[in-house]
Amino acid sequence: MTDELRFPANGDRDSLDESLVSLVREAYAPPGGDAYWSGLESRIMSRVTGQSSLDAGWWNVLAPWARPALIAAAAIFALAGVIDQKLIESEEQVSYDSLVQSVTPEVLTTTQELSSVERGADGATLSYFLSH
Amino acid sequence: MRIPDEERALAEAARGGNQDAFAGLVRLHQRRAYLVARAIVTVHEDAEDAVQDGFVRAWQSIDRFDPSQSFGAWINRIVANAALDITRRRKVRSTEELSDALRSPFRDPALDAELNTRLREALSKLPDRARSVIVLHDIEGFTHVEIGEMLGIPGGTARSDLHHARQKLREMLKDLRG
Repeated sequence: MTDELRFPANGDRDSLDESLVSLVREAYAPPGGDAYWSGLESRIMSRVTGQSSLDAGWWNVLAPWARPALIAAAAIFALAGVIDQKLIESEEQVSYDSLVQSVTPEVLTTTQELSSVERGADGATLSYFLSH
Repeated sequence: MRIPDEERALAEAARGGNQDAFAGLVRLHQRRAYLVARAIVTVHEDAEDAVQDGFVRAWQSIDRFDPSQSFGAWINRIVANAALDITRRRKVRSTEELSDALRSPFRDPALDAELNTRLREALSKLPDRARSVIVLHDIEGFTHVEIGEMLGIPGGTARSDLHHARQKLREMLKDLRG
């Protein structure tokens, strides 16, 4: 701000002459009279006050619901946790079952066992003992 | 820049939510803010809207104001932004309407009618930014840097705009002078 003067100085060769400045100043003259400025201040402050009550207003409406809302949110959260845990357990069981079933050989019947044994090297001896 | 004690105290109290203190700041700065707005929007009613919008915005973000800085400079920038928003919304405006708008209801009726008419026409023919710069600098006394901050342009651009605006205004009014 120190490098420039607030109003055109004599050293400012480019500046408008004073008569022209006066004309422009007149064209842009602000409203006169304290009543106007008091009125403008009141309008500004009524909007500021309205804004503040508006800001506080939405919270005042919601404030009574804060406690029930927190309790409901906690309950929903706990329920979601339980459901999630159940789903995990269920998935683990399914994957365990599928693993076990695919690896365990089918149960052989006694007859099948005997017939396979009979086809083995010691089949004749075993048949002899069983038949006597 | 030295900030008056009264302004600093009001600004600090306003930051704490004190509306009376903010009203004190409005009282101190509304005239200057109006002049800034008027230089940009031209129309009295629009300038008034910009001042109101600007102060409401300032209140909404008062917690972000640094009390060690000038509240006047801060509010002038906010009001200038509000005024620029209004000009963007009302971009299309005929020269004739603008010329009428420049007819201030508060001007001195004793002024020569032809001079005023020619001046209004000349100002209305200047580009928006050039007109704002010439009024803010030559009438309101803001520096190029301050004008640049308010209008969102570099200080050098404000200086250049001012030079061209003065030339153009002189050219348009040369037959009235001397």
